[in-house]
Amino acid sequence: MKRATFSWLGRDVPFLEGESIASALDAAGLVSFGPGMVAGDTRYFCGIGACQGCLVRVNGVVREACLAPASAQSLVEPLDHDAGGKPLHTFPHPVAGGTRD
Amino acid sequence: MRAENRFTLFLIPSRGAHVTEPDVLVIGGGPAGLSAAVEAARAGLAVELVEQRETIGGAIYRQPIPGANPMPQAAAAKARWNTLSRAFAESRVATRHASVFLGVEADGLVLVDDRRSGRVACLRPKAVVLATGAVETVHPRPGWHLAGVSTVGGLQVMMKERGRAPQGRVLLAGNGPLLIAAAAQMARLGNPPIAVVEAGDPLRRVCGGARMLRFPGLLREAGRYLIDMRRSRVPWLRGTRLAGIEREGEAFSILLEDARGTRRLKADRVALHDGIRPNDFGLPPDHRGAAPGPLVLRAGDCREALGVLAAEADGRRAGRLVAQHLSGKAKDVAEAERVIARNRGAQATLAELFAPLPGTMPFEDLPDHTVLCRCEGKTVGDLRALCSRPDRLTGREVKHNGRFAMGSCQGRFCAANTAALMARMHPAAPPPVPEDLTGRRWPARPVSIGSLVQAASQDNEMTDEVHK
Repeated sequence: MKRATFSWLGRDVPFLEGESIASALDAAGLVSFGPGMVAGDTRYFCGIGACQGCLVRVNGVVREACLAPASAQSLVEPLDHDAGGKPLHTFPHPVAGGTRD
Repeated sequence: MRAENRFTLFLIPSRGAHVTEPDVLVIGGGPAGLSAAVEAARAGLAVELVEQRETIGGAIYRQPIPGANPMPQAAAAKARWNTLSRAFAESRVATRHASVFLGVEADGLVLVDDRRSGRVACLRPKAVVLATGAVETVHPRPGWHLAGVSTVGGLQVMMKERGRAPQGRVLLAGNGPLLIAAAAQMARLGNPPIAVVEAGDPLRRVCGGARMLRFPGLLREAGRYLIDMRRSRVPWLRGTRLAGIEREGEAFSILLEDARGTRRLKADRVALHDGIRPNDFGLPPDHRGAAPGPLVLRAGDCREALGVLAAEADGRRAGRLVAQHLSGKAKDVAEAERVIARNRGAQATLAELFAPLPGTMPFEDLPDHTVLCRCEGKTVGDLRALCSRPDRLTGREVKHNGRFAMGSCQGRFCAANTAALMARMHPAAPPPVPEDLTGRRWPARPVSIGSLVQAASQDNEMTDEVHK
């Protein structure tokens, strides 16, 4: 049976039903999730949605790769790409929840 | 409530019928949240559970995906999960999956980010039990921020989810019993780590060892881990500190230090862990007063990080206290409190046993280029420059002027380290606490401004209708 896949930088990444995007990328040997953070690449770190270090874009929406379930035919991209693949400004995404006052 | 908590999302407080109103909203589907939900439901209350993942269990009981090999685990742990998950299923508590708790705004509305719909739900429960668990402590070391370095807990939950050990040469380093647990689990899944680097030396702590005899369950568990490690010939490098991680081609070159000197190891991956602490960032304070807004109680590791047994008991305690508050009938929490106290003793004994040896202490001799705050790319040198000014900066000023603890992890991985380093730079001054840097206010997690605005405008529209 053909395994379901999602797209990551032009590559079809297979995943198991119920698996997180981070786990599928890891199983495909992808350690860096691409540019996106000031101090380096986004990557898997805490596994519980706390560190925000594994943020990716899933069909354009910013999600923690460790929480977001992989889904067939979805387009998963590094944080610093928009849907067309062109680099965005360096601040990751418009959020409330940085702790600035 | 402190002034910074008075943060109202909506101009017009909503009283519309569209607001869903469970009696009790439990945040987090780990052992504390599940047992709180079960207790509150047993008391006849309408309970809803909010869980960020598609499955319940939390980090400790992370479930394997369908078809994955379940990670071999102790019979006692399996039995505890079976009992708890069955009780939860029987309680028929509705679960909002893929949903993230944001906070309680000043009018008492509870905001939950529903990741499936991309909308923020506004709820008005009578009580909220916060059970958001723990986060791992990771002390700063040069290179800790590189891709290919994770926390040990992160590595472990991925093993549980996928039923597969991380591939390649893996090094585990830091401090505490989780390191040997993860090493044994990797060995059972067929890829033992190349070594476990441990700052303490439990085998030399005779007094702590003697006190461990009071906790035979923990001793048995530790013994099993050590046997599995021995069988797979995993070196347990005690009294050793991981002093740096450097990229070398595809691999890492890792610098280790102990009393005899330094040496280097090669690894493909590194996992770090220096303990756990409550994941209480951005949570509202406990609230049991007569003031408006829901009763708010914390349960489990986010109240006091004492591990799974205490968390489950603390969830029972919170569920019963909520029932007592809402029904006016007295509930017995003495049993739960005994379990918590016993586990507090066990954790204190473990901490004594694993106390880092001199020469392995964190924060000593950190090079200036060591990253402290990964989200904002701020280094130990940046902090030293800020704190060497003649006018001493407060935690809040270090955040505002230096951007420490200002990024999207909201200080979860840098605030305590930054505060500890500040205390070392000014030993005579009162030591800053992590909250001086982070502040305490919602949202407890980043949320898209679009979702918040949508929730606000929807709420105001509905309120207008009600007022017509």
